[in-house]
Amino acid sequence: MTAMSDKILEVNDLHVSIADKPELQIIRGANLEIRPGEIHALMGPNGSGKSTLANSIAGSPAYEVDSGQILFQGQDVTEMPADERARLGMFLSFQYPTAIPGVTMVNFLREALKARRGEEVPAREFLGELRETLKTLKMDESFARRYVNDGFSGGEKKRAEILQLGMLKPSLAILDETDSGLDVDALRTVAEGVNALRTPDIGILIITHYERILNYITPDVVHILVDGRIVKSGDFALAKEIEANGYDPILEELGIAGEAVTA
Amino acid sequence: MSDTVALLPAYAEDGVVAGAQARSEPDWLLARRREAARAFDATPMPTTQLRPWKYTGVSDLVIESWAPWSPQLTIEAPALDGDAFAGSLAEAASDATHGDAVRERLGSVVTATEGRFIAANAAQWEDGVYVRLPRATTLEKPVVVTLDATGAPAGAAVYPRILIDAGAAAEASVVIRFTSNDQPLLVSSVIEMHAEQDARVRVLLDDRWGAQTKEFTTARSRVGKGADVQLSSLAIGGQVIKQTVESLIEGEGANSTIRGVALGDHDQHFDFVTLQDHIGPKSTSDVEIKAALAGASKSIYYGVTRVEVSAKGSQAEQVNRNLLLSSDAKADSDPVLEILTSDVIRCGHGATVGPVDEEALFYLQSRGLPRRAAFQLLVAGFFQSVIQDVPIDGLAEELETLVVDKLAAAEL
Repeated sequence: MTAMSDKILEVNDLHVSIADKPELQIIRGANLEIRPGEIHALMGPNGSGKSTLANSIAGSPAYEVDSGQILFQGQDVTEMPADERARLGMFLSFQYPTAIPGVTMVNFLREALKARRGEEVPAREFLGELRETLKTLKMDESFARRYVNDGFSGGEKKRAEILQLGMLKPSLAILDETDSGLDVDALRTVAEGVNALRTPDIGILIITHYERILNYITPDVVHILVDGRIVKSGDFALAKEIEANGYDPILEELGIAGEAVTA
Repeated sequence: MSDTVALLPAYAEDGVVAGAQARSEPDWLLARRREAARAFDATPMPTTQLRPWKYTGVSDLVIESWAPWSPQLTIEAPALDGDAFAGSLAEAASDATHGDAVRERLGSVVTATEGRFIAANAAQWEDGVYVRLPRATTLEKPVVVTLDATGAPAGAAVYPRILIDAGAAAEASVVIRFTSNDQPLLVSSVIEMHAEQDARVRVLLDDRWGAQTKEFTTARSRVGKGADVQLSSLAIGGQVIKQTVESLIEGEGANSTIRGVALGDHDQHFDFVTLQDHIGPKSTSDVEIKAALAGASKSIYYGVTRVEVSAKGSQAEQVNRNLLLSSDAKADSDPVLEILTSDVIRCGHGATVGPVDEEALFYLQSRGLPRRAAFQLLVAGFFQSVIQDVPIDGLAEELETLVVDKLAAAEL
């Protein structure tokens, strides 16, 4: 293994545009490195490209990588389909999880786990793990019999994402605005779930507009994304600073005020 | 067609009568055979000028060139006594106890003069299924009919005939399974259903035809006061599947439900025609037909829900959804509402034709499912709403297996 393999994720000078609108480049030279056990927070104003970065790391066909590289555990995955990245151990918790009527959570999870492990998971073993994870997340067992995200409340959708995270045990978890649309109680439940499922090997990238969730899951590094570039990185204090004063002082300090909102 | 095809004597009046005599059929049935043979002779093949046949041209199909053949018929039914019966239609028709009841009902819902495929069936059927349940009789388990044409020679024709007669407050559930080999086979079936007051009838048509089977089916029910009829169809195999399912919803408060699932690949051609004819007041109907189409397969739906002047206070729902799994697959959907009274509770209809939801596909792929596995899960889920209403144990799991197996090799 190369020296790079101690990094779970490495994003090098990444440029990404929308697949249907190649002229619209959203990510314009992003760099990021995440090591095992680390929690990174990616913050930024609306329209700065946070979700685009998350989705392109996960391999969404809605985006096109124009240049740059995404390395996962030292392997170049820039051109790899989403399902292969997921099987290697990448996980994206969606900001707006899609409803799939007719497909039960339990069937879906079983197929996903089979894909992740590369072999059929015996029914008893699977159900045992499912029960355990539901319990950890304080979720009722009836949840597993419902159709995927179909008729779920905002809080249920986010918990369903964390349930999948718990079952699939990825090496990298990207949580895209997992806190949005949640009230304080739901937020705490989801954050406790993430903490309960955390291992020393997993790298976590939390994407958030506000620092609310970071009071429950403390980040090691905080990045500020503006106009498709990470313009500043720091420790938890940076998130606190944004909570107190918003993004404007940082933008002014960097001389890029006003640019972000037009992106 | 350039080359002439042999017209088989079995279809001429003399041939039909000779066949009936060879089977020692009773005189009344012999007379019906003769009428049917004449109707067949006098009735032209449907043309694409007729709306229900617009997308399924049969002008090249010469029925008389397909040799009538008897498939293996197995009927699993509970033992019944008295007027109750579940078994061979041919036996019942000749039987002293049941013959009169068969004579009264057979051909009363679907008449031989209606069309060429139906006339051929009326003239040619050798055996079929008869289920007669007198007042308040309930069968604990469904009658399971297996029609096995896997032994048929190339160019054979089979003519299944099914008659279900449910008396007042009786309950019947019938599962009809069709199988054949991959040789060319013509199937023309007729299913007649009577549901008297408060009767409940459930029929599942489970098609597992081989690659070159062409099926033409007419299924029609008469639904009495407070009665409830459901016909569900699973169309998995076959080359051409044309099913016409009609309900005459005659009684007050009667209900008719039609459910259909089609899973196509290669050049499979499905054509569903439905009619929900509301005649009785406060009657209800519900149609839901879903097709998932891989390869260059095709699905056509044309359905009419008619609410007659007499059917005040009725409700109807009609939905057809088509999922295109490949860029060569096609679907045409035409649900029609004809409401002749201003007094209806609610009448709705909807139709969709479109590819798999890209967001759902990415969601599943982002969890590690390969593209094909994601399609398998999405299609099984797509059919779920149709299947959950069909009261046959284990059907949902069985269909899921069928979907997974068929899509494992399908052209996506």
